[in-house]
Amino acid sequence: MNKTDKMLVGERTFCVLLVLTSLVVFYLAYQISGFSSINSPGAFPIGVALVMIFSAVKIGVELIGKAKPDCSGWLDAFQQFRDTHFPRRTLVFGLLAVAYLAAIQWVSFYVSTFLFLVLSIVYLRKGRVLNAILIAAVLLVLIYLLFSLAFSVYLP
Amino acid sequence: MSDTLSYLLMAWSDPQLLMLTALGTFAGIYIGAIPGLSVTMAVSILVSFTFSWDVNDALALIVGIFIGGVYGGSRSAILLNIPGAPSSVATAFDGYPLAQQGEAGRAIGLSTVMSVVGGIVGTIMLASAAPLIGELALRFAPRDYFLVAAIGLLLVGSLAEGSLAKGIFAAGLGAVIGLVGMDPVTAQGRFTLGQVELMGGIHYVVLMIGLFGVAEAFYQLHNLDSPVVRQKVDKILPSFAMVLKFLPLSIRTSIIGVIVGVLPGVGGDIAALMAYDHAKRTVKNPSRPFGKGAYEGLVAPETANSAAVGGAYVPMLTLGMPGDAVTAVIIGALVVHGLNPGPMLMVENPHIFYFTVGNLLLANVFLMIFGLMGIKLFAKFVEMPKAVLIPLILVLCVVGTYSINSSMTEVYWMLGFGVLGYLLKIFGFQMGPIILGAILGPLMDTSYRQAMSSAGDNPVELLQGLVTSPLSLILSAAVVLILLGNTPLLKKLKSKLSPASARG
Repeated sequence: MNKTDKMLVGERTFCVLLVLTSLVVFYLAYQISGFSSINSPGAFPIGVALVMIFSAVKIGVELIGKAKPDCSGWLDAFQQFRDTHFPRRTLVFGLLAVAYLAAIQWVSFYVSTFLFLVLSIVYLRKGRVLNAILIAAVLLVLIYLLFSLAFSVYLP
Repeated sequence: MSDTLSYLLMAWSDPQLLMLTALGTFAGIYIGAIPGLSVTMAVSILVSFTFSWDVNDALALIVGIFIGGVYGGSRSAILLNIPGAPSSVATAFDGYPLAQQGEAGRAIGLSTVMSVVGGIVGTIMLASAAPLIGELALRFAPRDYFLVAAIGLLLVGSLAEGSLAKGIFAAGLGAVIGLVGMDPVTAQGRFTLGQVELMGGIHYVVLMIGLFGVAEAFYQLHNLDSPVVRQKVDKILPSFAMVLKFLPLSIRTSIIGVIVGVLPGVGGDIAALMAYDHAKRTVKNPSRPFGKGAYEGLVAPETANSAAVGGAYVPMLTLGMPGDAVTAVIIGALVVHGLNPGPMLMVENPHIFYFTVGNLLLANVFLMIFGLMGIKLFAKFVEMPKAVLIPLILVLCVVGTYSINSSMTEVYWMLGFGVLGYLLKIFGFQMGPIILGAILGPLMDTSYRQAMSSAGDNPVELLQGLVTSPLSLILSAAVVLILLGNTPLLKKLKSKLSPASARG
């Protein structure tokens, strides 16, 4: 194992989550039909769950030789993880995406898509509202022409 | 002989058939390029309004859509890392890195030419060896399907970069997602958590769009401020020397494509992944490392998925068995037109066989023409500012997912898979093995249980079958060899042998 390899912040916690997920999958697979027969509906899922458990443990074992990340304590590790992988930009865009999906059923596909495009473009470009409205309108027209008219796709 | 030739050239000489094939190929490319719009869906819709047409007209349009649709998926895979179709998943592995380096134009050009090479090899094999290959496919017992799926699943070794354990875990996770829903034998719910909505299962295209599209959109947010990569679109057509260089590989992967395409239930998606694995194992000095924009990693899956189309026609025309979902729909269309696909088709209606062969070749010619058109426009797509492109990708993912089953629940799943994919990506997991598991997991489960049932639930008898049948023995040997190749055992053995041989 290469000692110079550094563990990523949160990698150990993620690995524990993988093992726990595999155990839950094993439990759910066992619930299907137990160990009733080698040919039961649950036989293959149990096999897959066992493979997942072994590979999750192996992923954990692979971490043993790695150097720990530069952080002091859980809180510092959490903050580093959040700042690196879930900065404000990612969180805001994620929330906009969730709000967009929720809004589709309330205010129709076209209205929600227009609002989502305008808001996310304005946020990601840090301004230029008129420009964003124009771009969103053009994209919406293209979506309508391509999906509704040309391919007759059912839109949400 | 003259009759055969006239059947072969029928689509080439009749202006109406020529036009319908061209129209089908053109539409197929653009339908295939949109994630969520499948070739199967397009053909199913088309078939319904071609019932009153002449059978040749209907077949010409369907062949065009089929050929164009399988190829079209590569466009969005290369430009946006969202495979337009499952058969383009492997194309994204090296196609997207090429676009990130400003070579989207050349990548699309090369994928077009190589798709045509694959399509032609597939058609030639269909024309020359259809009855032989068809008979071979009939000899496949459930245990052989299980072994084929196992070989496919062992591809995680080459798809998982860095850690094999991560690849295996990802494939297992994919298999569990693929198994969600009603058990096809006992109708019992599996991994449904008591939710009736999950009894129908989770379509793997939903998973694919989430993992590749949404996860990529979130990942790209980190590079929002990096300058846009300008695409080189001046040299779209690959040079003759380049085509010649990749010809041996493309022929090998085309043969893989045909063989996999012939097997019922296994289509271009698995053929492309197997071909990618083959390229990774056999090409010693790729143009760039695999996964970082190797042309070989683009050529292999593109030739294989196009060749698989010719392969899928073999069992359909010779045995009346569908090679994949699209040929199953075509069988329905032939029956509606009063034809009887199966061993008697060649005797009663030989013109259908030769007409299809000629038509497939013609569709490949149109693929070359339309495939090389509009690349500049497509390439402009990736030159859009990321602040516009990222929200647009999410909207396209929503539209693509909803179009599969008109289900908002699947759209929520898609977003969930996207977040999961983003998390897995952070910790070095690859998306390919998850898709591989989702496709092959259910196939492995079904064939395992069929094989076990045919062996009377006796594992010893099943194992005996694996070594007594020549076909199973070959496949078992392949499984063992690939398994050994994925472990350090073979490397150790090689390193032990090589100094010894050097001394000797």
